[in-house]
Amino acid sequence: MTTILKLENLNYGYEDGGYKRQILKDLSYEFEQGQFYTILGPSGSGKTTLLSIIAGLDKQESGKIYYEGDDLDKIGLYKYRRNKIGIVFQQYNLISYLTGLENIELAMTETDNAIPKNQKEVAYALLEKFGIVKSKADRLVTKLSGGEQQRVAIARAIASNVDLIFADEPTGNLDTATEQEIIKIFRMLTEEFGKTVIVVTHSNVVSELSDHRVVLNEGQLKDIQ
Amino acid sequence: MNFFTRAIKNVTRRMSKSILLAITFFLIGNLVIIGLGINNASEQAKIETRRKMRAVVSYETDYMAFYDYADALEGEEQQEAYKNYPSVKLEDIKSLMSDERVKTVNVVSTNMLYSNDFETVPLNNERESNGGGTMTYEDGTTVEYIEPDLKFQTNFFPNMIELEDKMYEIVEGRFYNQAEVDEGKMVCLITDKLASHNNLRVGDTITIDLISANDMRYYEQSGVTDEDIHMTLEIIGIYHNNEELDENSDEYKWMSRYDSPDNTILAPALAYGNAFYKIGMKQYEYSKEQYPEDYTDVEVPTPESYTYVNKAVFLLDDPLNVDQFVADHQSDLKEFMKIDANNDTFKKLARPLDTLSLFSNIIVWIVAINAIVIITLVTALTLKTREYEIGVLLSIGVSKMKIVAQFFVELIIVALIGFTLSVVSGSLVAKQVGKMVMDYQVDTESQYGTLDDQNNGTIYWGETNYFTEISQDDLLSEYEVQINPMIIGEIYVLGIGVVFISILIPSFMIMRFNPKKILMNQN
Repeated sequence: MTTILKLENLNYGYEDGGYKRQILKDLSYEFEQGQFYTILGPSGSGKTTLLSIIAGLDKQESGKIYYEGDDLDKIGLYKYRRNKIGIVFQQYNLISYLTGLENIELAMTETDNAIPKNQKEVAYALLEKFGIVKSKADRLVTKLSGGEQQRVAIARAIASNVDLIFADEPTGNLDTATEQEIIKIFRMLTEEFGKTVIVVTHSNVVSELSDHRVVLNEGQLKDIQ
Repeated sequence: MNFFTRAIKNVTRRMSKSILLAITFFLIGNLVIIGLGINNASEQAKIETRRKMRAVVSYETDYMAFYDYADALEGEEQQEAYKNYPSVKLEDIKSLMSDERVKTVNVVSTNMLYSNDFETVPLNNERESNGGGTMTYEDGTTVEYIEPDLKFQTNFFPNMIELEDKMYEIVEGRFYNQAEVDEGKMVCLITDKLASHNNLRVGDTITIDLISANDMRYYEQSGVTDEDIHMTLEIIGIYHNNEELDENSDEYKWMSRYDSPDNTILAPALAYGNAFYKIGMKQYEYSKEQYPEDYTDVEVPTPESYTYVNKAVFLLDDPLNVDQFVADHQSDLKEFMKIDANNDTFKKLARPLDTLSLFSNIIVWIVAINAIVIITLVTALTLKTREYEIGVLLSIGVSKMKIVAQFFVELIIVALIGFTLSVVSGSLVAKQVGKMVMDYQVDTESQYGTLDDQNNGTIYWGETNYFTEISQDDLLSEYEVQINPMIIGEIYVLGIGVVFISILIPSFMIMRFNPKKILMNQN
């Protein structure tokens, strides 16, 4: 298996009430291509902080991140977010004045990756794959249910033809049945599309269905057998 | 889905917000149109009036300034000043003529002289029928009085303003040329009426007396003979003088023949100088002999001595170039010389327009500044509500510049809608408001000042006033608030400018946004 994302001696902390709180301590880890990872850990352990750093939304204090062997500093955070990864949030984070389809097209337009010319058809097909039929795809996202919005968000994450998907508590706002649906989609992403999925979650249901369960504890990532 | 499409979607799908913003732009647009409309109408009225005025500028001695200076001096200094009395020099006129805006120049001298071997065109007015040929002195002696009957108009340059203005039109022959002016050739042009009255043709000669036979007694003692007072000229051209007299006016009743446009004879400046030189020289010799002590340092006269130049009038190519011409040459003028475009009168008459122009300009600026403040605040406040959207866009790798561009386009679209609507309503409102404020302004001005004082500079006896006389009614009749494409263009440019400046501060705010903070707070 090839490593898609390599973390090397990451350190990150912040000032809290006059003393420095270290979240990541010389954290090193390697994520393999085409695997489904869940990152677990107690509240306040720094899971979301770790996700924002490896998703290029924030910068570590020290250490290196390599995407397919390339240093993230060299790729640049904007390019990394635009061309290499997709992010799914608990609150879906869709653009409210756009339809589901337009949210997908937005990601397709922004990326520098090769996107088929029949962008609209591809976007419809992608959404349909995730259970969003054409009539729903043409609705404003605010008119869709939570589960449907999250499916659109996942579709948007992979629409730019990326190999690495991050998700932060993607099922946190969803009922159990929908949660199962979303997990199925993540599994499909890894098995059918060969994508790497890294999910930060509290949910045992999600973690049990992942390939790798990793816990963040005292600033370090450790595999759970 | 690029930033432009996103902007359009945002504007059309968040309609209530867009409508509110469009109303703001609409109100701003109306105020700006009123301001620009009034300003434009005021400026246009001045331009149109200027266009109707003759594009002339006079160059002459500033006697007031010289006398103020000389009178403040004492003794020899004062004598020295008067000895170097300032005068208009031909070389200075030629220097001004080199300006490409000058079409022609009149350096005209006018003398009232006496016909000898021809008869001037009669006026047949009350003055002529009354005879008026004698004059009685206080001691009872009565002398015959012979009045000059023709106007002898000379110029230093061949192309006169009157020819450019079509006041004089050559009907036969030609006008004198520069070589004839420089050489002082004894040639002339007479009017068609004078020619037909005397059956004169091009190539004929006429004789004009410089002094009346009656006045010869004052000159005889110095040896001046009848021959000396005759000036014989060859007719090289016949022209038509389009100046018309009102035969029913009181002025006409008592007019002398030399005032008749039909009795004006045109000749090169030195023609008169050459002719009068003979008389002048004899008088000089005689006086020098009689009063040698007074003639120790008096210059010997030349033909040029009798072609005194006191003013040059330049005709420019465009009335709108007059102010700039004056401004360009003002600083180069020699001491005690002045260049005048009759601006004082024009400025006085244009005062209500200037006041309106000033205030409308101030209104436009105040509205524009307020618009910038309002739009900046609205956009900055909107940013807070759109923080989440910005975070999402940043998280998928949209650059901050593209986000700023989207916000700019959104504002521009709404601004264009608001301004376009304001063009329709603004043009109706501007006309009414423009008329109202102008009426008010004229009323106020007339209460506090006299507006119709005409000051056409110093006009000497026998001279033509080349400045066009205008009244305030002429000027105000040109005032009409109209929203033309230029103003509409200005509104859009101003609108885009306002939006551009208004987006600057929010842009800095966007540049400081951190996607992690926004999205993590949200989640």
